[in-house]
Amino acid sequence: MRRRGTGSWIILALASFYFLIPLLATFLFSLRARRGTLSFLAWAHVFKDPLFSRTFLFSVEMALITIVVGLALLIPTALWVHLRAPRARALIEVLALLPFVIPPIVLVFGLIRTYSRPPIALVSSPILLIAGYVVISFPYMYRAIDTGLRSINLRSLTEAAQSLGASWRVTLFRVILPNIRASLLSAAFLTFAIVVGELTLAVMLAWPAFGPYMAQVGRDLAYEPAALAIISFLLTWGSLALIQLLSRGMRGAATPGGVH
Amino acid sequence: MRKILVSLLSILFLAGMVVAAGATGTQETTKAPLLTQAPANFDDLVAAAKKEGQLTLIACPRDWANYGEAIDTFASKYGIKVNDLNPDGGSGDELQAIDANKANMGPQAPDVIDVGFSFGPDAKAKGLIAPYKVRTWDTIPSSVKDADGYWYGDYYGALSFEVNLDVVKTPPLDWADLTAATYKGQIALCGDPRVSNQAIMSVAAAALANGGSFENAKPGVDFFSKLNAAGNFVPLIAKAGTIASGETPIVIQWDYLAMADRDKTDGNPSLGVIVPATGVVAGVYLQAVSAYAPHPNAARLWEEFMYSDEGQLIWLKGYAHPIRYNDLAARNVVPADLAAKLPPAAAYAKALFPTLTQQSAAKTFITANWDSIVGVDVKAKQ
Amino acid sequence: MSTVSEITKGAPLARPSAGVLRRWIGLAPFLLFAILFMILPAGSLFVGSFQDASGGFTLMNVAHLFRPSILRSYWLTIEVSLITAVAGGIFGFLLAYAVTMGGLPRTVRSLVTTFSGVASNFAGVPLAFAFIATMGRVGLITTLLKQFFGISLYDAGFNLYSLWGLVLVYLYFQLPLMVLIITPALDGMRREWREACENLGASRLQYWRHVALPILMPSLLSSVILLFGNAFGAYATAYALTGGFLNLVPIQIGAQMRGDVLHDPNLGYALALGMVAIMTLCILGYTALQKRASRWLS
Repeated sequence: MRRRGTGSWIILALASFYFLIPLLATFLFSLRARRGTLSFLAWAHVFKDPLFSRTFLFSVEMALITIVVGLALLIPTALWVHLRAPRARALIEVLALLPFVIPPIVLVFGLIRTYSRPPIALVSSPILLIAGYVVISFPYMYRAIDTGLRSINLRSLTEAAQSLGASWRVTLFRVILPNIRASLLSAAFLTFAIVVGELTLAVMLAWPAFGPYMAQVGRDLAYEPAALAIISFLLTWGSLALIQLLSRGMRGAATPGGVH
Repeated sequence: MRKILVSLLSILFLAGMVVAAGATGTQETTKAPLLTQAPANFDDLVAAAKKEGQLTLIACPRDWANYGEAIDTFASKYGIKVNDLNPDGGSGDELQAIDANKANMGPQAPDVIDVGFSFGPDAKAKGLIAPYKVRTWDTIPSSVKDADGYWYGDYYGALSFEVNLDVVKTPPLDWADLTAATYKGQIALCGDPRVSNQAIMSVAAAALANGGSFENAKPGVDFFSKLNAAGNFVPLIAKAGTIASGETPIVIQWDYLAMADRDKTDGNPSLGVIVPATGVVAGVYLQAVSAYAPHPNAARLWEEFMYSDEGQLIWLKGYAHPIRYNDLAARNVVPADLAAKLPPAAAYAKALFPTLTQQSAAKTFITANWDSIVGVDVKAKQ
Repeated sequence: MSTVSEITKGAPLARPSAGVLRRWIGLAPFLLFAILFMILPAGSLFVGSFQDASGGFTLMNVAHLFRPSILRSYWLTIEVSLITAVAGGIFGFLLAYAVTMGGLPRTVRSLVTTFSGVASNFAGVPLAFAFIATMGRVGLITTLLKQFFGISLYDAGFNLYSLWGLVLVYLYFQLPLMVLIITPALDGMRREWREACENLGASRLQYWRHVALPILMPSLLSSVILLFGNAFGAYATAYALTGGFLNLVPIQIGAQMRGDVLHDPNLGYALALGMVAIMTLCILGYTALQKRASRWLS
């Protein structure tokens, strides 16, 4: 029985309206840099600034590393909670969602204080920045992976794979992960956007990241911040689309979410 | 099982805090400030600073009182790399940064700070800053410096109305004008009075203009409550973008920031800067050297540079009155064209500089009452 | 249910300590990371909630938390977070449903999910400004409505700079977050289940009420708590849009720790600790709810 999608189209239209109009308004404002006419002057200013590309690329690099480290840390944890230690769920949930209520300024000054003493002087190393990024992306990553694992029949899949003689590595990489591909992508998207736009950690740890750059432009000028907001939106969107394309090529799964 | 989990988590948390507290506690008692003895003469100081090769500033935006030019001039004159940390930071950020970076010699630790007036004594009490008296110490007015040399005023300005003249055809000239119906939905502060020094001084200035004083700031809070009820006040933090777009065409800001904005927008939009006829409040910011500065001599050299005539005039170019302005004017060192760009001296004649106790009194009242008189409980009549 | 159940069921009775260790060993990396890079650093500062300005022990900061004005701001923050979590949850669910099971083309789903990835983090000053430029007093929509329809939004009582204005703005990142999290759960809904329901004569409503929603409930709950936490700790957007008009706890914390006026970091830490306590309670409450919701599933 075919389902008519009119209701869905209406929902999509309303959502598009809500999400795109503010962007449109920002875009129109960014065109007003030259008095009396519409021009891309503010945009030119942004693109001409060498700091723009440098900071963006730096943040992209950090984002990708954060995604890898975060997934490597949280996928086994989520699996373990689901399969072996369901009673630890409450504890892990609390720890994973705790970053929401730790103000970033407290986190960063805490990290600096703890890791600036000579035995473990990590302050000037990117390790500390990435560790901080991983911490703030905990809630989103864990929730995405957890929801994904919840939606597939994890126990049956693992047991079936193991009873067929698959090792843990094979079970993980060939059975479980492809089935939660959509949630892994969600986790990656969320983390990417967070790291690229993150401000406090990068500023206090003195790294040339994109967030501080945007804040600085926002402080100084009137029209350039609007242009920058749209540009960074488009760039991040493009990066996510790229990640999605690449992941599709690697996994080879035809349907999102894998086998039904 | 839940109880075990909760107690486990609490134990973990407390254990973490105890260990950390213990660890940092011992760190504080064994580690002394890094500040070495200041070199005897100026040339030695320059040499020592050059050897350090770096200076970390904090919360010094390039377009705030022309810090950009100050940084560039200092860097090229002495060949010292200047690292500007957290340009958007507030005074609280700066003190926290010194505190957190006590053991750190990297670029995350500030060497000098530029903070609001009330933060100087606070920082001194916490042992975060070190004394240093620049060569021109005696020409700094005594009301704005610490007798022991821990902190010293750097520049000041008066609160003014920054007006988008494309939107507002007849700009207000005084506080009383702001209540006029023509300015409905147009007036904003540039911060939350509990967070922003400018915002709280704006409320104090309104108090001065309405028969109050720094000690009696109630008329100021009432004034804003009246503006809010009339719908003239927009409870939004004004930025360059909102002024340009016309959302907040009248903003109360330091005159030097308003004039810098006027230069930047270059007619698009056309901005006017008006120092009100009554209720003129001047605000001083302070310089201090961090007691844990990784580059103490570069820090001292920076202070020497900013308090020399050259440095003071750079601030003046940013439309901020340098603290030694009277001394410079008396010696006829101020270039005529620069003096002409500033608002007339008459506007500053009426400016009131709040003392520390006055600021504290105003702060206590306004922060306690802002929410109840102007907060979300009050419905603005649209 | 062979090896797994043996580990979880048998061990605690026979040798409790060995069972617990085996159970928790897999969580060790995460726990270690969390302790090293989250609990220890944050904890070293949170100790300050129990200290006064000179470093001595005091409970005054915690006592201050119970002042009426601060209790009001906690309540306001919870209110805003709850409203945006539920509203974001509902609307996000609808959009996620539309792109997964609603019969829309596959490319739309990719567009929506990637867009959601970006929008979920579009916050702070750029977001505030985008809405000011749209629905502010001189915003795009406001002026269009006035010019072409003669409707004056602000005279009619709308105000972007209010609690509901903030809710409207918060939805911009709450909704996409919901979409991203719930879409995989919707993927897990088998078409066969729905077809089976229809074969048995169930209406659409019955399908949703008795099959779909109960299956999805654990995921829905966990997403809503995520949205709640997301709004609870949000600072930049609220500060930019309301300028302190709305007395939210994150703004209070910022005022005490970072601002140019107030400077009582110890009170700030106490306020943050209060938020940690509230969040922990919410999560524990949610896990209890979760247990009930997923009981019949396992």
